[in-house]
Amino acid sequence: MTASTRATTAEPEAVREPDRRVVSLDSVKRTATLAAVLLALLVVGAVTRPDIFLDPAKLWSNELTVLSLASAIGVITIGMTFVMIGGGIDLSVGALLALASVWCTTVATQSFGVTGVIFAALAVGTGAGIVNGLLISYGRLVPFIATLAMMVAARGLAQKISGSQTQINRISFVNELASGKILGIPYIVVIFAVVVVLGWILLNRTTFGRRTVAIGGNAEAARLAGINVKRHTLALYALSGLCCGIAALIVVAQTTSGSNTNGDLYELNAIAAAIIGGTALTGGRGTIVGSLFGVLIFSQIANLFTVNNLPTETQRIVNGAIIVCAVLVQQLQMGRFRLPAFAWTRRGRTPAT
Amino acid sequence: MSTSRRRLLLGGSALGAGVLLAGCTSNETKGNDGNDQTKVSGGNNAAPGKTVTIGFTAPAADHGWIAAITNNAKAQAGKYSDVKLLAVDPGKDAPAQIAAIQSLIQQKPDAIVMLPYDGAQLTAVARQATDAGIPVINLDREFADPAAAFTLIKGDNYGMGVSAGHYIGRKLRGKSDAVIAEIAGIDTLQLTKDRSKGFADTLATYGLRVANRVAAQFTVDSGQAVTANLLQAAPKIDAIWNHDDDQGVGVLAAIRQAGRKEFFMVGGAGSLDAMEHIKAGDSPLEATVTYPPTMASSAISLARLTAQGKGMEDLVELQVPKLIVLQSETVTKENVDRYRPLGFKS
Amino acid sequence: MTPEVVLRLTGVVKSFPGVRALDGVGLEVRAGEVHCLLGQNGAGKSTLIKVLSGVHRPDAGEIVWQGEQVSFTSPHAALKAGIATIYQELDLIDELSVAENLAIGQEPRRLGFVRRGVMRRAAQRVLSQLGHPEIPVGAEVGVLPAAAKQIVSMGRALSRRAKLMIMDEPTAVLAHGEVQNLFRVIRDLTADGIAVIYISHRLEEIREIGDRVTVLRDGRTSAVNLDAKTTPTRELVRRMTGRSIEYVFPERHAAPHTEPLLAVEGLGRQGEFSDVSLSVHKGEIVGIAGLVGSGRSELLETVYGARRPDTGRVLVDGRPLHPADVGAAVRAGLGMAPEERKRQALLMGEPVYRNITLASLRRFATVGFTRAGAERAAATRIADDLELRPRDVHRPVRTLSGGNQQKVVVGRWLLGGTRLLLLDEPTRGVDVGARAELYQMIRRLADSDVGVLLVSSEVPEVLGLSDRVLVMREGRLIHQAPAEELDEDTVLDLVMAGSLLEGSPT
Repeated sequence: MTASTRATTAEPEAVREPDRRVVSLDSVKRTATLAAVLLALLVVGAVTRPDIFLDPAKLWSNELTVLSLASAIGVITIGMTFVMIGGGIDLSVGALLALASVWCTTVATQSFGVTGVIFAALAVGTGAGIVNGLLISYGRLVPFIATLAMMVAARGLAQKISGSQTQINRISFVNELASGKILGIPYIVVIFAVVVVLGWILLNRTTFGRRTVAIGGNAEAARLAGINVKRHTLALYALSGLCCGIAALIVVAQTTSGSNTNGDLYELNAIAAAIIGGTALTGGRGTIVGSLFGVLIFSQIANLFTVNNLPTETQRIVNGAIIVCAVLVQQLQMGRFRLPAFAWTRRGRTPAT
Repeated sequence: MSTSRRRLLLGGSALGAGVLLAGCTSNETKGNDGNDQTKVSGGNNAAPGKTVTIGFTAPAADHGWIAAITNNAKAQAGKYSDVKLLAVDPGKDAPAQIAAIQSLIQQKPDAIVMLPYDGAQLTAVARQATDAGIPVINLDREFADPAAAFTLIKGDNYGMGVSAGHYIGRKLRGKSDAVIAEIAGIDTLQLTKDRSKGFADTLATYGLRVANRVAAQFTVDSGQAVTANLLQAAPKIDAIWNHDDDQGVGVLAAIRQAGRKEFFMVGGAGSLDAMEHIKAGDSPLEATVTYPPTMASSAISLARLTAQGKGMEDLVELQVPKLIVLQSETVTKENVDRYRPLGFKS
Repeated sequence: MTPEVVLRLTGVVKSFPGVRALDGVGLEVRAGEVHCLLGQNGAGKSTLIKVLSGVHRPDAGEIVWQGEQVSFTSPHAALKAGIATIYQELDLIDELSVAENLAIGQEPRRLGFVRRGVMRRAAQRVLSQLGHPEIPVGAEVGVLPAAAKQIVSMGRALSRRAKLMIMDEPTAVLAHGEVQNLFRVIRDLTADGIAVIYISHRLEEIREIGDRVTVLRDGRTSAVNLDAKTTPTRELVRRMTGRSIEYVFPERHAAPHTEPLLAVEGLGRQGEFSDVSLSVHKGEIVGIAGLVGSGRSELLETVYGARRPDTGRVLVDGRPLHPADVGAAVRAGLGMAPEERKRQALLMGEPVYRNITLASLRRFATVGFTRAGAERAAATRIADDLELRPRDVHRPVRTLSGGNQQKVVVGRWLLGGTRLLLLDEPTRGVDVGARAELYQMIRRLADSDVGVLLVSSEVPEVLGLSDRVLVMREGRLIHQAPAEELDEDTVLDLVMAGSLLEGSPT
């Protein structure tokens, strides 16, 4: 749009710089809470396993492990955060990860070498994401249904391609991503960090991010403001698919193999991480930093359980409790500091139930 | 590979390396004057007999071991000119498998080989088949009622733990402060508990115990994740037993990424990948204890013999045994070449 | 004899973080009266209702209900005590039948089974009592027209033996005839001794149905118990605004431009409107008068590309617009302020500046990266131009009053350099003071050569603001004339009856 030629009143040149309050009080509070939880987990570690958590070298190595294990699910959670802020949901992420990991490790793909493997993973993820997006924006399927169908189908396709067998990856460059380090940090952690930073910029500093928030907050308003809601929704699911492709490479590197069992329940873990990070299931609200913390908290908990030799059942109970607590805190904050009237009216308006 | 397996089986050198006979002690053929109650092998069970239809159902394959079960069964059936295999889609869970088997019963096969999703849940439908005069070969996961199956052939989960325990115990004998770690499979399953118990019981006879125990999900990525954490928890380890070679791919990856070399490792199930690592000696994996999916091939053979009214030629009895529990064998660098043909693709 | 006082509020205070919504409010309602609550948006009416209906609990003050001091902990508690609230957005369940909605929560039961016959007869009885036995008790509520839904909602209050009904802008969703019907029902209720608290922006309604008026301003009671019939309008306005103003419409152009900007040719949509042709010139304000349901909002949305036309086409600068493509319309210079601001235009939780720049984000971005400083500066300047209050563009839009929210929507298009503005009910839910400002703003826009196509249910607004008036009825344009040549009665006749009644001046 070349609107400047017919702008009637305003030109971008600043008359005066208004006060910069980029970060709202709310999100500061939330980030502080999440950081405190993570810190508390480290304190628990220090109390239960002082030999690891109070020894700088071992702590460093342990936390690198936590970060490595958070990488794949973390990248997926970033994609999921965009989809959820945009008012959707993507249940297919775990299955897409499996499909991409299998596709990129077939003998045929590996014969194309490292570029073939990387391209296959990213293209399969993005392609499946585009199919999701097409079904949702142009096929008018509910996101839940469309991505549920994709979840089932992609997992099935992954089984078919692999014959339900684990495919060993022999491309050493890819395996090196997990075992190799730069400045003492595994490449996959660096990949994760890059995705987080790019995700943050995309959400907070670009028109794409702003449109995502607008669509998730009020799709009708966004449409009537001239935003191409369908095309944007398509892009969101493609983005989520791309993240699945990146995560597939990370998992292939970590496990040195592709398998149709990869990424089991990742969709739920990613949604849970996004939610405890403050992303609203209803769309329009969420932060990259929050989601990052959500992923790290879950990963740190898993680590704490293993280093203390505790059974996995308890860990699941704790994870469930954390999700509930996070949502309760979220509602409490909303009730007290946000939407003072509206949120309560809706709840209160159904009499005699 | 299949050919050699078949030869092994039919040649009578038993299933794998040994067969454990139990139950069904057939009636004494008392005082059959002049009749020899002994027998020295021979026979020609491999020769085509009456054509039989064998129904087959196993859970949908989601990982290597189960995939190998189905593949083996089909391959084995393909070797027999007198076997028609009726493999039915098991659906996604026990109720679906029950429905599939009911429709299978309608088709009146001569025998059914069944690896159930859940032994207890499938017992009733196995009973239906038996009552309808169709012998059921129960594969691996045991029915709640032994009468529901004609024959049970299964692996030995407790024995896996025993074998792994012996291997590790012998190497670490006398080192009472040795750090032994265990990477189990899905912790809620009975078979995981059995394996762990066998392992712990056997280690105890050497004065050893498990110091760190984690549980994965039989999947590669879960194996990698729990191992990465485990290696942080235990800065020095002497030995690891990993229950499952499928998840072992991830376990080995995590070990390599952590750059740890101070321990040795024993695997479980006996995948081709594991055997190759054992042969090459390029990883801490020194041995694996088998839980062979070849049992599916054997089950097809048993079904065929049963349907044709034959027994196992090496045995004196006229019918196949009631219960066959496979040995959990220990595959090491020394004997890996013999076992490699039996390794399954994980 | 003076009827007993059923409800008395004294010194009620309710604060939210940063806002003191109610600051010592008093109210006195008698049995059998229609007590009107008047106040600008943000004066505290909504908060007061929520305190009364148990949604909010007051921080201080006293509520005496039927002689007892009470504090409702939930809407359910208030309902049980006999206070029922009928909201603008009706709280009925569309998928259930009328009878089920009426009985919900207190279904007649035997052995755990709902006694459907009893339930239907009870529903029939309540609806007859309200003078609407024709509403089918078996029909799903979702298929009923808005007016019938309102009756059902009132029926529900009645079947719970409510002694006080609170009605928040009940006529907002009703057509003219239905309003009279509603008033009749209200009169029947009050004759039975039920008290009604009635909230409306429309003074003429208050005159017609109200008994007494309490006026709120800035969270305080600025006048209590005024006589609804006799208190002069100026007095009421003065109490609401603290100053005395009247509807002042800005002066028109001496001569509007003649350069055509928008041309609509034979536009039609099945079941909504048909064969509509009209034009808007540069700098011209064209008003469409018509009832709710006459197809005017649908027409506006179709012109804007938000709906796909079945027939006809839309031209801007003589070039046809790609149909059903909002993006194309916006690029061609169209902008719309839709009827339902909250649902269709605003991101309520987002700051003001982001709402203003929503349609022109690209101008504040370099290869997709937003330039925050430029964006906020531009939004701030627009906010200054429009005298947005408060001026802080970082506040979430939801904290603004209706009038200021509307300014944000219009500001969005000002910033986007829009040349043709489509306004659907621009002053709905906007208080008197802000209305005048909006009128000024719209005229200023036209003076700067922007074309305006305006839809409003309020005839004086269409007449006072427009250069040219089109009358729409049942999906067709039936009349058009310069605004000077029409008066309110004429337009009303056309709108209601479709033709000029005998004896009407032309």
